[in-house]
Amino acid sequence: MGVSSNESIELCIFDLRRGQHEGQELDKILFFFPAGLPFSKQLSVIGLSEGLITFTRIFSPEAACEVIEAERHSHVFHEPEPDIWMVMVVEKSNDSEPIWRDDALRKVLKEIHSLFVMFHGSIRAMLEKEPGGELTRRHLYSFIMDYLRACKKPSPWDNCCCCYDFFVGKKLTLPSFRDCLKERGTVQMLTIGREAAIEVQSLVRVLESSAGNTPCYSLILFQDLLVSTTLSPDDTINLFAYAVLRLTPHALSSGASSWSYLRKGSTASNVAAESNITHPSSMSEGFYGSSDISSGEDNHYHVVRPLQSDKWSKGKDGYLVTDLWGAEVATWVFATPTVWLQQTGEKMYLCVFQHRSLTLMLLIPVSSIPNGEQGVVAVKQQVLENASHKILKVEEKLSKGWGGENAYHVSGYRYLLIDGDRNVSRASPATKVTTLTKESLLAMNKLRQEVELEKSRAKLESLNCEKDLEMCIRAKNNAWVISRVTRGNELYMVLEKANETLLYASDAVEKFSDRYCDGTFSVD
Amino acid sequence: MSGKASTSKPNIGLGGSDGLSHAYIQYPPLRCNVPGSSGLFYDDGNRLLLSPTADQVFSWKVGPFDPLIDPETDSISEGPIIAIRYSLDTKVIAIQRSNHEIQFWDRETGGTFSHTCRPESESILGFFWTDSQQCDIVLVKTSGLDLFAYNPESKSLQLVQTKKLNVSWFVYTHESRLVLLASGMQCKTFHGFQISSADIVRLPRFEMAMAKSEANSKPVLAADDVFIVTVYGRIYCLQVDRVAMLLHSYRLYRDAVIQQGSLPLYSNRIAVSVVDNVLLIHQVDAKVVILYDLFVDSRAPISAPLPLLLRGFPRSSTSSQSSGRESESSGGNLLSNHEAVTYANTWTFLVPDLVCDVANKLLWKFNLDSEAISSSSSEVPSVLEFLQRRKLEANKAKQLCLGITRTLILEHRPVPVVAKAVNVLVTSYSHSIKTGSYLKGLKPDKTSTSVVQNTGADVSVIGTDVFGKSILHESTKRVDSGSFNKASTVSSLDSEDESQTANSKHNLKESQVEGKVSNDISLGTGAHGAYVMQSSLQSGQEESQLTSAAISPDEIYSFVFSPVDEEMVGDPSYLVACIIEFLHSANSEKIRVLPNVYVLIIQLLARNERYAELGLFVLNKILEPSKEVALQLLESGRQNAQTRKLGLDMLRQLGLHHDYVLLLVQDGYYLEALRYARKYKVDTIRPSLFLEAAFVSNDSQHLAAVLRFFTDFLPGFKNTSEHNRYCRILNEMNSSMTV
Repeated sequence: MGVSSNESIELCIFDLRRGQHEGQELDKILFFFPAGLPFSKQLSVIGLSEGLITFTRIFSPEAACEVIEAERHSHVFHEPEPDIWMVMVVEKSNDSEPIWRDDALRKVLKEIHSLFVMFHGSIRAMLEKEPGGELTRRHLYSFIMDYLRACKKPSPWDNCCCCYDFFVGKKLTLPSFRDCLKERGTVQMLTIGREAAIEVQSLVRVLESSAGNTPCYSLILFQDLLVSTTLSPDDTINLFAYAVLRLTPHALSSGASSWSYLRKGSTASNVAAESNITHPSSMSEGFYGSSDISSGEDNHYHVVRPLQSDKWSKGKDGYLVTDLWGAEVATWVFATPTVWLQQTGEKMYLCVFQHRSLTLMLLIPVSSIPNGEQGVVAVKQQVLENASHKILKVEEKLSKGWGGENAYHVSGYRYLLIDGDRNVSRASPATKVTTLTKESLLAMNKLRQEVELEKSRAKLESLNCEKDLEMCIRAKNNAWVISRVTRGNELYMVLEKANETLLYASDAVEKFSDRYCDGTFSVD
Repeated sequence: MSGKASTSKPNIGLGGSDGLSHAYIQYPPLRCNVPGSSGLFYDDGNRLLLSPTADQVFSWKVGPFDPLIDPETDSISEGPIIAIRYSLDTKVIAIQRSNHEIQFWDRETGGTFSHTCRPESESILGFFWTDSQQCDIVLVKTSGLDLFAYNPESKSLQLVQTKKLNVSWFVYTHESRLVLLASGMQCKTFHGFQISSADIVRLPRFEMAMAKSEANSKPVLAADDVFIVTVYGRIYCLQVDRVAMLLHSYRLYRDAVIQQGSLPLYSNRIAVSVVDNVLLIHQVDAKVVILYDLFVDSRAPISAPLPLLLRGFPRSSTSSQSSGRESESSGGNLLSNHEAVTYANTWTFLVPDLVCDVANKLLWKFNLDSEAISSSSSEVPSVLEFLQRRKLEANKAKQLCLGITRTLILEHRPVPVVAKAVNVLVTSYSHSIKTGSYLKGLKPDKTSTSVVQNTGADVSVIGTDVFGKSILHESTKRVDSGSFNKASTVSSLDSEDESQTANSKHNLKESQVEGKVSNDISLGTGAHGAYVMQSSLQSGQEESQLTSAAISPDEIYSFVFSPVDEEMVGDPSYLVACIIEFLHSANSEKIRVLPNVYVLIIQLLARNERYAELGLFVLNKILEPSKEVALQLLESGRQNAQTRKLGLDMLRQLGLHHDYVLLLVQDGYYLEALRYARKYKVDTIRPSLFLEAAFVSNDSQHLAAVLRFFTDFLPGFKNTSEHNRYCRILNEMNSSMTV
């Protein structure tokens, strides 16, 4: 049974405002993974979580518990909307060093939720529209399962943190210590020169003026890296995450068979696992609803599954098309995808144009286009007329300046750089990080856990000043594991094969800071 | 002539509003009515209008054109006059008396002698003075060219060179230094010589195109049908083909003559003028003028054919000369003076931009109405390009360009349109920097001496009050340019790629010609005393001070972006888009942009709360780091901590240690500030600031640390009152804690 092997991880979403009466407890469950688990077990997990929340709220009404460490399990809590909770339960390993980092797990929960909200609106709003909750469950189920299955397959030079394959074989793998030099919920940016930057901005303005006077937004990616955005930071993170998962040339090609050589051994089991997941056991099938469109044709309501893989393709005109949002039966024109913006709460059409490595995402307010699809087509046409020359130019310019997959590799260093103010991170290429020993990675994982603890403490004290922080650990394998936090910027670094003195390590950080961070992390 | 002094002041703007036109003549004209005059002659070498009487010759300096100028007189002996020209140093008057005799008259000594040629074999067609180093005067005869050196001592001409050719007739203009000699049955075979100060260039022989009306009749080309035109330092030859009703144009190079295409004709009588490098083709019979800008390759006219306008003609005529003839061009206005007739049969067109009404003895100057031209076209970029090329009324063109661009943005025209327009301005500026024509005006621009009043003889420039600063050239500069010009070759029978330098030379020449001080010293400094600034007749006066319409990035900021920002309502992101296009152009032309533009971008983005974008702009260095930018980031960062940090970081990266440390302390990062101050040896900040900050944070450990820092590193700190004061405070804090 595939299902039983997934027991090590449980993920649930429940609503504290529902099912408060005896016998209606099932009503509060909105999502449970694995779905095949008997309701009694599901309820016991949720019951425990609910109890813990109620208890901790006594002491901290504003922010209830974040994490509970039991002997064999960790419970990671996240309250994305008032009284709607997401809880992830992971099994602890027998090693003394923790393999999970709470914060990394919580970021997964956050990402699931914010992506869901981007495509479907808030869960609460959905529940209010449909008090029965059946539709909400169906949406959540298909969405989260698609997300977990969102096997953006790891590329050989992947330096991006959003690219997990959650299902390896039958098991759901979550970000572990191996991913300690990555940061979910941030974007990775392409470094460009001034000239290219002006060129890009010029393109952005032309793009956004293509819909007349309507205020539009845009996002430009080169490869899997962000080049420009006019969206708010939160919306940028969401759309960037989605783009890297599904839209970039990379994401598009990963669906192709050219890929299989990397995963020869596991393809078969992968398929098996998938079949397991797509067909929840008969017991809860009715409860969460069938997510399969083919089997759900009798449903009068169409569940949009934006995260379904291999559904996007590049059209002749350079625009990416998908049937995920349905199609007009008569004309067989695919409906334009729509997303909700977090900041303004507006519903936007999402048009994606791709030229080689360049991906342009244009967001047009639905309300501003009265004639629907026709209007979108007109805007798309306008974009091509106005901007195609600039697009070619920008792509050419960026390609010329593109340093390749290891552009951000700094030899001798394995690092992670986070700009908390802008939610931007940069890290050593994944292939380089894998050369680190397990000890180094575990030490870094632990260090990050410490830093996060320290940061959340500082937040609780609610000081206006962001404190500087510096930590250096000599790991078991004599590697230096270093972190520096200074006013919103974080630097994590592993130096293997380094000299044994602390002075050496500190010098190395200084050099790195001066060279690559404009001296942000330099002290004294 | 008697009415001249009493003529009422020109009624400004009176004639300016009626009728649509792109070219105009400005009332009053120069009156050159001399009793007993035997005719009017034009000496284009010195730009003199000459009116000889029996024993005198009256001369008016017409470059620069000033209708109120008084004539000078010279005594000459009696006799028939076919042509009359002053030598280029104006010391000698040469008068062609007959087909074979030219008389020379020394103005200083009064000495005179005659030069004659063999009357039986040849006759003199004409003559002109040159600034060539080899010869002083050139005689065009039916047998060819004779180049002579003028020798005042021996009172004779010395033959330097002869070019033997059969000549039917010739055309010559001094500004091109080019003489075209027609020969052949149809007079359509041409030999050309450019006799400039540098050398004498012989052009390859060429034939002009003539359409045949019938098989047997061969039209003969007349001298009236060929024009030499100098625009943008290039020399063109225009030829009327009466059968085809086309005006063929040829561009003359040192080593080739290349036909450039043809312009349509709508009149049997054609005249050509050049005003500020714009070609005016007067369709005399049709009484309209068509404007062409030969700079661009297209042969399309700048605008539709329109009549020539007479501006500033007084409504109630003070003189009693009115003859009741109605002027067609003024569209039924009550002007009824025969003087007000445009394109009268008696009009004689003079090179390059004058016309002489021979019957009424009036001299008019053609002007371009750049405002009307610019408002008649919706093709904004090409209008801007056109305006940027204007030298004569450079300031006006500049103001128009600024106004057009401003309007473009205020009207929210599509970004690509604005981008194109801005690009035109930036490229033109970049070009003017390279050729140096902008820099000439740059220095006086800084001091901005606005001496010259805007007389308003024109329909006033948009926003003249605000932006009407004019620039006065130092006269030394003018003289310099004049002498430079004299030394250098004038213009250009050059190959195409050299045309740029020729162009700038040509500018120099024009500025010299327009200037108060002429390149010749002896003539008429006294006479030019009459040249008064406030003579309100020549609208081109104040503009002539500026030689280039190029607009610097700073001016684009001050006169476009900044005012637009004040006037514009609604979303500032459109203006941001426009400024980015400006940066785009500036960057591709490698022109430095001043920080005020960046400051404006920051303000606009902050106003819109687009802080994320602002961050991107700073990180990508679209906003080049500078102290101004950093301070604006700090200012706009009051509402947004991230932006403030960007400003701080920029200060640090710029090495502005003092400001950086000060701001760190202000933000409460006093320990970091101390560390930084020690590293970069910042000792300009009072210790009390740090101590106060530490005290405010209410952390006795920190206060102790700061105190210790200063005792250790600041010599003599221990003895200051601050030390004692904070020691006391620290003790109090500690004791209160232990209690």
